Order: sequence, then structure tokens, then C-alpha cells
Amino acid sequence: MEGILETFGLAWPKFISQVVIVLIVYFILSKYAFGPILAMLEARRQRITDGEENLKKIESELEKAEEKVQGMLDEANGDAERLIAEARESAESVRNQKTQEAVKEAQSIIEKAREASKLEHEKAMNELKSDFGRLLIDATSKVTGKVLDDSDQKRINDETAGQVAL
Amino acid sequence: MGHSLPIMTLDSLNPLLAAGGIAAPEIPGLGWLTNSILVAAIVTFTVVLFVRMATKRMELIPGPKQNFVEFVIEFLYGQVEGIVGKHVAPRAFPLLATVFIFIITANWFGLIPGVGTIGFGEEKLAFLSLKEVSDPILRPATADLNMTLALAVVFMVVWAWLSVSELGLWGTIVHIFGPKGGLQGFLKYALMPIFIFVGVIEIVSIIFRPMSLSLRLLGNIFAGETLLVTMGGLGEVLGASGFVAWILSVALPLPFYFLEILVGALQATVFTLLCGVYIKLSTTHDDEEHH
Repeated sequence: MEGILETFGLAWPKFISQVVIVLIVYFILSKYAFGPILAMLEARRQRITDGEENLKKIESELEKAEEKVQGMLDEANGDAERLIAEARESAESVRNQKTQEAVKEAQSIIEKAREASKLEHEKAMNELKSDFGRLLIDATSKVTGKVLDDSDQKRINDETAGQVAL
Repeated sequence: MGHSLPIMTLDSLNPLLAAGGIAAPEIPGLGWLTNSILVAAIVTFTVVLFVRMATKRMELIPGPKQNFVEFVIEFLYGQVEGIVGKHVAPRAFPLLATVFIFIITANWFGLIPGVGTIGFGEEKLAFLSLKEVSDPILRPATADLNMTLALAVVFMVVWAWLSVSELGLWGTIVHIFGPKGGLQGFLKYALMPIFIFVGVIEIVSIIFRPMSLSLRLLGNIFAGETLLVTMGGLGEVLGASGFVAWILSVALPLPFYFLEILVGALQATVFTLLCGVYIKLSTTHDDEEHH
């Protein structure tokens, strides 16, 4: 037995030194490596889990916000379309009103013009009749050599006016 | 006028043992301090220093060193959890991870050029040059039975504590000697002598565990050292000399260095795996086994 121990160099001081070295590594690694690293890995795992949960929450909130925004957009679109329709109706009404006023005014102008024209026409006709009668009297007096009195002139004027009116 | 050919004898083909033999030699003038204890101390210092540098200012977004240490620890924790189960893993992990990290670092440290080849010897060829190094200053820590046995003994102590704390003292005894397979009634009592005998065999196997663990690791790492030494000196043994011998001393061991990198990792894994399995076997409740 002693020979075997000697062959392999086994001796208490050497063996105990090696045990001490192994224990030192064991305790130092346990304290400064395994504990902190495993805690860090756990913290990171927890952080990732929390991050995933937060991501899901954010996605859900985003979805809700998008739905809300879509609702608001739909509502705003509805309002805008209603306002546009109202504005269009209002504009149509104003346009109609203005058109009617313009037509009425145009008719009034035409009517006035027509009346003015008629009056001018009548005036011109009267002047024409008067001139024609006077010419006829002059011509009659020159042809007949008779001086026409007032009653002749009146009769001739009336007859002429009556014929010219035809 | 004849040329003298180098004579090869069977003796010359025998593998050279790694410098110092299987017993780690003491460093001259330093008492019982062996070269493997020195390397174990250097490995411890290296591991502790690196880990402290990596974990001193830990951040959620890790730097390269912290990232590497986190990767190693997370990977090891996953493996340990897979073997011993979620319940025991938090208590078994520190020891198993320590064993793995220490053994793999020590094994690979032995592959650094100079380990096993720089030291003291009798026949001086020239200034700072020896014909043979008999007492190297550095030697792989795991190529010393004191270290491998220390690892195994520390493991066995923690294993015993884990087993008893998990099952209780009586529970551990029942676990070893008690009936297995959920037997009930007459059969349970009839087979009791067999279970007790199996328990005795189990105790013997438990007693031999430290030896099997330590000798397996020592054998593999020392054999690797010996292989590298043999390959390094093979050129001279075959009669090469001068520059050719120097080239062969570099070229021949080179493929075996890659092999030893693999062996170093493999032996660390085997040691840790067996420790994990021993813990699993002794901390599993019998009712769990039946499910």
C-alpha cells in the first residue's frame, strides 16, 4: 500500500493543499460567478418577459387607439360630408335666389325698355301724323288755290290721321 | 569505411514517461510543494481573475468577457438541470460547474508549451539546456493523483450532503437498501435479502467512486502528457539529429496536441457528467422513479 502511495506521489500535505485549492475555486466561483451571473440571467429573463408583456399591452393599446382614431376619422368624415352637403344646398339656394332676382330684374328692364320704346313709337307716330297733315294741307291749298280755314284744316287732319293710322 | 547506423532496440521504442513519472515531483528547495500544486494555484488564480474581471461591473447589456462567462454558465446550468432535475440543480450546479471549469482549464493549461518541459535535471548540455528534464517546474494539475483525488473527495462530501439533505439520513439508507420497483406485500419482504445485498454492492461502488473518478482523469491526462513527450522525442529515438530532430520534435506531437485538446474537454465532461449522474441517482425519490 505504501509502495502504491509512493508511486503515485500521494501524501497528506499535497492532498490537503489540492483540496484547499479546489475549495477556494468552489467558494469563489459560487460567490462571485455563479450567484451573480445566474441572478443576472434571471433578471434578463424577467426583463424579456416583462418586455414581451409590455409589447402585447402596447400592441393592444395601439389597436384600440387605431380603432379610436378610425372612429374619429369616420365621424370627422361624416361631419365634413354633411357640412359640404349643407354648403352645397345653401349655395344652390343662394344661386337660385340670385338667378330669380336677376331674371326678375332683367324682365323689369325689358319691360321698361319695351314701354319706353312704345312711348317713343307713339310719339314718333304722332309727330309723323302732325307733319303729314301739315304737308297735306299745304299741298291741298297749293293745288286748289283755296285758303283753307280752320275747319277745313281740322277735317283734313283728322281724315289723314285716320288713314295714316291704318 | 562503414557508416554506423543508429541501432533501434525495443527499449528505445518504449514510450518515454512524462517528465517526473506518474508522481508529481516536488520543486527543488520548496519542500512538499509539487509542480502540479503550483499549476493548480496558477489555474485557480487565472480562473478567479478572469471571472472577477467579467463579473465586477455586470450590466444588463454584457461586454465580451461577461458575455462569455454568461454563455458558459448558462450552458452548464442547462446541462446540469437536464441531468439532476430542476429541484436539485440550484444546489448541485455550483460544485459541478466548478469541477468542469477547473478540470478543463487545468487540462488545457497542460498543453501550453513549456509545461512539463522546463525544469531541472542532471545532465547539462549547455547553458540553460539539459539533456533530460527530470523535475519540470510546471505539470498539468490533473496529472497528479493528489489533485484528481481532491476533486473526487470534495465531490463525494458535497454529494453526501446533497443526498442526505434531499432524502434525509433514513431516506438515504432506505434508498440504498430498500425495495425498489414499488414492490408491495409478500414479495417485498421475500426479496428483502436481495435488496440488502444489492445495497451492500451499492455501498462498495460508492466507496470506489472517488478512486474510479480520480484514476480515470489522472490516467487520461498523464497518458496524454506521455504521448506528447514520446512524440516529441521520437525523432531522436529513430536516429534523427540536429535540425531534422528539431523539426520532428515539433511536427510529430502537433496532431496529438489537437487530440489532447479534445481529450481535455472530454475528460472534464466525463468527470462532471458522472458526478451529475451520481447526484441524480442518490437524490431521486423512490416515488418519482415509479412515475
